Amino acid sequence: MHKRLSYPIAVASFGLAMSFSTPGVSAQEIIELNLWSRADQSGPLRPGNILEGANRLNAQLEMDGADYRVSITVNEQPDQGGYDSDAERLLRAFAIGEGPDIFHQAHEWICAFAEPGYLFDLTDYTHDNPQFFADIFESLWESTECGGRRFAVPQDAEARMFFFNKGLMKEAGFSEEEIESLDERVLAGEVTLDGISEIAKQIVDNSDAEYGILHRPSRGPDYLMIFNQYGSSFLDPESGMLLLEEGKLADAYGWFERNVQNGVTPSNNTSMDWGFVRDQFWKENNAVMWMYGVWDIGSHAVPRGVPTDEEGFFELFGWTAAPAPVEGGRPGSLTHPIVYGVGAGEHAEIAAAVVGYASDADLNTNHAVTTTHIGIKNAQLEDPRYQEAWSLALATELLEFSHYMPNHPDFGTLNQIIYEALQGVETGQLSAEDAAAYVLDEADARIPDSIVIN
Amino acid sequence: MGAVKEEAVVRSNVRKAMKARERANMAIFFGPAFLIVSFFFVVPVIVDIAISFTDLGRELRITEITTKNYDRAFTGDRQLPGVIARTVFYVGATLLIFNTTFGLVLALATTAIPKTSGTFFRAVWLLPRMSPSVVYAILWIWSIHGGDTSLVNQILKNLFGSEKPIDLIQLEPMWVIIFANGFIGASFAMIILTSAIRSIPEHLYHAARCDGAGSLAVTWHITLAHLRWPLTYIFIWQTLSLLTSFEYILLITGGGPFRATTVYAIFIFQRAFGSAGQYAYGAALAFFLIVPGVILALLLWRVSKMGTLLQKPRIEVQ
Repeated sequence: MHKRLSYPIAVASFGLAMSFSTPGVSAQEIIELNLWSRADQSGPLRPGNILEGANRLNAQLEMDGADYRVSITVNEQPDQGGYDSDAERLLRAFAIGEGPDIFHQAHEWICAFAEPGYLFDLTDYTHDNPQFFADIFESLWESTECGGRRFAVPQDAEARMFFFNKGLMKEAGFSEEEIESLDERVLAGEVTLDGISEIAKQIVDNSDAEYGILHRPSRGPDYLMIFNQYGSSFLDPESGMLLLEEGKLADAYGWFERNVQNGVTPSNNTSMDWGFVRDQFWKENNAVMWMYGVWDIGSHAVPRGVPTDEEGFFELFGWTAAPAPVEGGRPGSLTHPIVYGVGAGEHAEIAAAVVGYASDADLNTNHAVTTTHIGIKNAQLEDPRYQEAWSLALATELLEFSHYMPNHPDFGTLNQIIYEALQGVETGQLSAEDAAAYVLDEADARIPDSIVIN
Repeated sequence: MGAVKEEAVVRSNVRKAMKARERANMAIFFGPAFLIVSFFFVVPVIVDIAISFTDLGRELRITEITTKNYDRAFTGDRQLPGVIARTVFYVGATLLIFNTTFGLVLALATTAIPKTSGTFFRAVWLLPRMSPSVVYAILWIWSIHGGDTSLVNQILKNLFGSEKPIDLIQLEPMWVIIFANGFIGASFAMIILTSAIRSIPEHLYHAARCDGAGSLAVTWHITLAHLRWPLTYIFIWQTLSLLTSFEYILLITGGGPFRATTVYAIFIFQRAFGSAGQYAYGAALAFFLIVPGVILALLLWRVSKMGTLLQKPRIEVQ
C-alpha cells in the first residue's frame, strides 16, 4: 500500500533534498525556473515529478561537468474552479509577461497558449531527444498538437465512464445477471442512453436512493461524452474550426432535459458542491450513477472508504462506457489528458529537459498508481506496480472508443457556453432546442471567428 | 503720504498673504478629495472609455480602434434585454421593499420602543453590514442550500414535518439576492432615519398630542413629513448602489442558476472576465453603467429638489 505524502510536505521535502543534495552548486550558475502548479489531490506528483525531474537533470549536469544547475520555484495556486479557471488566469499571466517556465494544464487549452506564441514549440525537441519522449504512446501526442506541431508533453490520461452502484440495483430488484452484464450490454449497444436513464429511474423509484444520474457540477469534460454520443465532435476537420450542429446539440440537451423531467438527475445538479456529489455516490449510497473519470477511484472514492482491491470494489460498484443513443450504436468514452507546457522563455530547452526527466517511466508510474491515472509510456505497462493497479488496466479498455476534446484555442470558451446552457436546461429555464440555439448565439457573440455553424 | 503708501503696501501684502493662505487651505481641504475623485473615478472612467473603443481581449493586445463593441451592445447581444429587465426588477424590488420601506419601518419601530431595546434591535440589524461579505454570503448559503442540513430545511423538517428539502437558490434565486442585499440595505436607511427621527423637535409631538392627534396622525404628519429629505437621499444613493450590486450576488449565486440572477454588473464581469476575456466589450458595457448612473443621479437630484436641502438656511437659528 502506498502512503502518499501531503503535497506541501512533498514539496518541502523535494526542496530540502535539492538544497542538500547538490554540494558545490553555489559555485555554479543557477538557472531559476518557475513552475506553476495547483494544490490538487488528484495529482500531487504533477509538480512533484517536475521537482524530481530537476534533481535528475542536476545529477546528470554534475556528471557531465556542466557549469550550471537548475532550481525550481513552485508557484502553487489553490484549486479555484479547475483547469478552465486556471487556464484563464495563466493566459492573463502570460499576456503580461509573467507566465511560468513550466506548467500543467488540460490538453484542450494548449492551443490557446500556443497561438499567441506563449509556448516553446516542442516538436523538434521531442524528436531530437528520444531518450525522454520516444516511448510515449503515439496516440497521446495528438492531444498536445496545434496545427500539427507539438506544444506540450503528455503527463497522464484517463477514461470517463458511468460508475454505478450495484447495491442499489439489487435493492431495486435487478437480478445478479442484469447487474453484472450491464457494462457488456452497453458495449454491445443493447442499452442506450435513454435505456440507462430508465434503469436509473427504476432504481430511484424502487430504492432509498434520491438521485439517479449525477454529473460534475462545473464546466469540464464528462458531460461532453453525451454530446459526442449524439454526434457532436465539435471540430470541423476541413477548416479546423469549432463545429456547431444545432440539431445534434438539441438531441444531447434533450437527454439531460428528460433526465430532469423524469427525476433521474436533480435540477440543481449544476449548483451542487463537489464533495456533496461524491459523497452521495461513493459514501451515502444515495445516487445510482456518477458520470466521471477513472481517476476518481484513487483520489476520491478510496478516501471515502471504497475498497482498494478489485474484488471489493466490483462487489459494490461497477462502471460502463457511455451508451449509444440508439440500439446497436457504438458506446463512447472520453479521455482527458493533462499535459506539461513549457513557456517560450530564455531557458525553454532546459525547462523541456526537466519535463523530459519528469516524464521518466518510474516517476510517471508513481503518479499513475497513486491517483489512478493512465500512464504515458509503454515501459510503464511492464512495471509490476502498474500491473497491480487493476483499475488502470480495465479503464484502458475504454480507450478503444474514447474521444478527445478538440485542441482549439477557443474550445474552453465554447465549453463554458455549453455548460451554461446545460444549467439552463436542468433548471428548467431553457428547453433542449432553446439551449442549442443559446449555444449558437453565444458562440457567435463570444468567439465568432472560431466557429462553423451547420 | 509715505505712511499712506506704506499702509497700502502692507494691506496689499496682507491681502496677498490671505489669498495665498486661502489657496493653501483650499489645497489642504480639497486636495485629497480632488486626488481621490480623480484617481478613483475620473481616470478609471477615461480608461474605460478608451478601452471600450479597442479590441482588447484575452491576449491583452490592442490591434485596432473600433466601435464594434458598441454595435454589439446595441444590436448583437441577445442576452442584454433579459439582463436589463432583471436589473430593473432587482433594483426596484430591493429598493422599494427593503432599502427604503423596511429601513423606515425599522427606524420607526426601534425609536418607538424603549431606548435600550431599540438600540439592541438596531445593533442586530447592523450585523449583516458589519460582517465581511464572504462571511455573510457563506451564512446565506449555509442557511438556504438544498441539502437537508441547511437552516431553512432543518426548520421545515423539524417544525413543519416537511420530508423533502427545498433549494431556495434553485426555486427563487432572484428573491434570495433581493433579501440578501435588502437586509444590508435596510440597515443603512435605518441608521439615517433613526438619526433624523431623533432630531425632530420633541415639542412638535407634544403640540400634536394636545391637538388630539393619534399615533398614526403623528407619524404621518410629523415624523414622515420630517423624513422627506433623508428618504430622498437614501433613495438616490441606494438606487445607484444597487445598480452596481455585485459582490453578494457573485458570492451567493454567481449570477445563476443559468442567468436567473445575472444583473447588469454581474453581466459585465462575466462578459469581460469570462473565458473569452472580452475586456473591451466589458468596458463598453461598463460605460453604459456610468452614464445612466450620472444621469439618474442628476435626474433624481432635480426631481426631488435635493438642491434646496443643501441651500443656505433662510433664517439663522441661534
